[in-house]
Amino acid sequence: MIEHQPLPYRPMSRHRRSEGKKGGTRRAENNKIYAHPLPLTFSQTYVTLGLSRHTVLNPCCEGYWDPLTRSVWVTNPKDSATLWQRGFFGKGNISRSEPSWLSRQVNIRKAELSGKVTSEEITAKRREQRKRFKMDRANAIVTAAAEAEEAFRIGKTVTNPIMIPSGATWKPADEAPEKGPSAIPQNHNKQDEGRDGELDDIVDVEHLQLTPQEAFFLIWCFDCLSVLNPQTAEGMPLQEIWLAFQTCYMDPGPSLQLRPDNPFIVNYVAYHHYRSLGWTVKSGVKFCVDYLLYKRGPVFDHAEFALVICPVYEDPADSDSSTLCFRSTQNISWSWLSTVNRVNSQVMKMLILCYVTIPSSVLVSPEMLGSPKCLAYYSVREVTVRRFIPARMRD
Amino acid sequence: MEKHPSFPAVSHLLKKYPNVGGALFQTYNDLSLGQGWKDVQVLDLQTCSRPALRGIRPGSDVSVYVLPCWLSENLTMSLVHGAFEDMGGVTEFYMAITAEDSSIVYYKLSKGLVKPQL
Repeated sequence: MIEHQPLPYRPMSRHRRSEGKKGGTRRAENNKIYAHPLPLTFSQTYVTLGLSRHTVLNPCCEGYWDPLTRSVWVTNPKDSATLWQRGFFGKGNISRSEPSWLSRQVNIRKAELSGKVTSEEITAKRREQRKRFKMDRANAIVTAAAEAEEAFRIGKTVTNPIMIPSGATWKPADEAPEKGPSAIPQNHNKQDEGRDGELDDIVDVEHLQLTPQEAFFLIWCFDCLSVLNPQTAEGMPLQEIWLAFQTCYMDPGPSLQLRPDNPFIVNYVAYHHYRSLGWTVKSGVKFCVDYLLYKRGPVFDHAEFALVICPVYEDPADSDSSTLCFRSTQNISWSWLSTVNRVNSQVMKMLILCYVTIPSSVLVSPEMLGSPKCLAYYSVREVTVRRFIPARMRD
Repeated sequence: MEKHPSFPAVSHLLKKYPNVGGALFQTYNDLSLGQGWKDVQVLDLQTCSRPALRGIRPGSDVSVYVLPCWLSENLTMSLVHGAFEDMGGVTEFYMAITAEDSSIVYYKLSKGLVKPQL
């Protein structure tokens, strides 16, 4: 059944047709694992007369503040899983998204023992084949060009032009026989038992890394995360966290005066805005943008929108006195915008320019910046960018 | 961070380069543990005053240089030229652009105009 897609730019699920039943099971599993959109859950207790009362269940996660990497590290595996599964907060620091380094290492070791291939090996084999196809195609192009030159030189046309291979029809010429699972000798069982112990030796060195914006959102809005001082291992109060998150972006110096254009605050305004509207907000560095907006999360579908934060100074004097290298509206060039739009159009994401207005430093003093209440002075406006091609977009 | 197994390898440069120490640590971590690079060494580049890494990619014998930097940094051509000089006149190196959530994107910088390989 093909679902009606009203917006032409909404990406279709790429796996729907090919997976069929398997996709349905995985989707059902994902719906179970990622059922909660936020870390807080509700328990229901029934009291007399059939009335129910809900209590809020707080997972009370913990993380360590690391000023050098400007991030909060969640090292407890249970807290990592909770924060990832309920809202897709954070990223495994040696994984692509969810912390999976330990299971990948275990899989590699198990594959070495049993002779089976891991998914990384299958991907590597596919990439190797793709590389060989590209080489064959490049050689065919060179040969065809040489043939055409030769024919032109002697004044004739090429009668049987060489065929340039296409991705759909190419087959590797000298494919080596497929390696089956290696034969396991009979006396391997005892060695297997010894080797299983090796799997326990792998120490998990991965943690879930939260950006200051994600961490502050969890602390301020839900109070479900406590940030510990890395030296004393004591919980940092909200005020200290708010100031620490700002000062880590400032150059060290004798007088650390807070400014309203601090990158932490400007990014947090946008992050908070879209999270409050229900979007899952993740880093967009892989697509040359600041944030990616997901409807539910990365495991369900690709991001629909790519967000670029454009800070706008209310007071031009603040812009002149700024020591930060911001991409403010004065520096945006047409070529940059065109590049970012092209990158995102190719991956079927709509580009959004998010203008964050930075209040004047006269209006918002450094004392006011010492508390999150100053966020009320910032505002957000959005502009969607789509390339207009007059010849094609007549409707 | 001090308790992390990757800390000893980069600790000597963290004090000298407090601004990019975090990027160096994250890149070292990713290359040695995540990407499976061999013989990852931490270097100090004199002309451009930045730390760098050198290692061998899996499936290759040649060691390549990696220059870590933050996404929010302002990079200049003089820095790139200085890096090429400090790396002993190599024709290409990788730039590791790190973000606070530990995402790293690697870009290959080559000297002069270089045609894509395939």
